[in-house]
Amino acid sequence: MIVAERKKIPELVEILQGHKKILVLGCGTCVTVCLAGGEREVSIISSALRIASKTGGHDFEIDELTIERQCDNVFIEEAAETIEKYDVILSLGCGAGVQAVAERYAEKPVYAGLDTSFIGVLEERGVWTEKCAACGACVLHKYGGICPITRCAKHMLNGPCGGSREDRCEVRPDRPCGWQLIYQRLRGIGELDRLKKIEATKDWSPSLDGGCRMIVREDHRI
Amino acid sequence: MNDRPLEIYLFHCSNCLDTEALRRSFGEHERDKILKTISLPCSGKLELIYLLKAFESGADGVLLATCKRGECRYLEGNLRAQKRSGAIGALLEEIGLDKGRMKLVQQGEGGVQTVIDELDSLIETIRSPS
Repeated sequence: MIVAERKKIPELVEILQGHKKILVLGCGTCVTVCLAGGEREVSIISSALRIASKTGGHDFEIDELTIERQCDNVFIEEAAETIEKYDVILSLGCGAGVQAVAERYAEKPVYAGLDTSFIGVLEERGVWTEKCAACGACVLHKYGGICPITRCAKHMLNGPCGGSREDRCEVRPDRPCGWQLIYQRLRGIGELDRLKKIEATKDWSPSLDGGCRMIVREDHRI
Repeated sequence: MNDRPLEIYLFHCSNCLDTEALRRSFGEHERDKILKTISLPCSGKLELIYLLKAFESGADGVLLATCKRGECRYLEGNLRAQKRSGAIGALLEEIGLDKGRMKLVQQGEGGVQTVIDELDSLIETIRSPS
C-alpha cells in the first residue's frame, strides 16, 4: 500500500491561509490503513485546524468528508455535490488522490494535507516500512523476493557493499542490511547460486527517469 | 484578563475514580472554575479526537486520570492512554496551545486527592503561563 504522513498543522495553516470554506477530504483506502488520511484522521486534522483557526485569528470554516477512493473518478463523482460547496479542498489522499481530485475540479484549489512517503507494508502495530520503489522493471525473482533497489540503501544489484555491521545497514543502522536479508533468503530457499551471476546495470528508463509513466490496456478499453 | 471561569475537562477511567467524592472535595463552591467529567470504561478507550473536541468546544485544560501502571483491568489500556496523551501534547504544541494544558495522572494510593492536586496544578499552569 501507499504510506503517507500528515503535514504539520502550521504548514497546513499556511497552505490554507486566505481561504474560508474548506473541505478536508479523506480517502478510505491506503491512507486509512496507514492511519494518515482516513475518516479518523480527517476528524483529528479538522479539529486541530479549527482550534488553530481560533487561536491564530483565521477565519476557516472547516467541514469533513471521506470518500472510498480519491484516485478513482467514480468515487470523486459521488462526492461532487458536496465538494462544489467549498472554496478549497484539503485532500488527505496520497499524491495520486490529490491530483485526481484536482484534475476533476479545474477551478478549485486542491491542496495536499499529507506527505506521501513510500509503497510499503505494516511491519507491526504503528510501524510501516518501504518495500517497493515502483521502478517499473521488477527484479524480485532474482533476489529471493527481497528488493535490492528498495531494501539496500545503495540500490546495489551486485551486493553487498561490505559496509554493513553485523546485519545492520551502514547508511541506516536502524534498518537491516538488504543484502544480508537477500543472502539469508536465497540460502533458505536453496538458490544461493543466483548470486554467482553478475547483474548488468539497471535500465532505469521504465522508472520515473523515463518520464511520467502510463499503462494502456487496450483489451479493457471498449 | 478574561474573567470567565476556567473550564477543565477530566477524562477518567471509571474503574479508578469516584467522581462524586471528587466533586465534593474539588472546590465545589468556587465559581471561577467549571469541571466537566467524562467517564470512560477504560482509559484505553480514549481517542485523540475526544481530547481535541474538548479543546475545540472550549476547554482551557484537560486532565486524564488512568489506573496505576500494571493495574489496568484490560492490561494495557492505561499504557495506550499515556501514549495518546503524549501525542495530543505534541499536537497541541503544533497548534500553538501551551503543552501544559494537557496533563495525565496515574491513580495511586492517594486516591481522589491525587487527582485534586493535579487539577489544582493544571489550573495554576493555565492561569500563569510561562
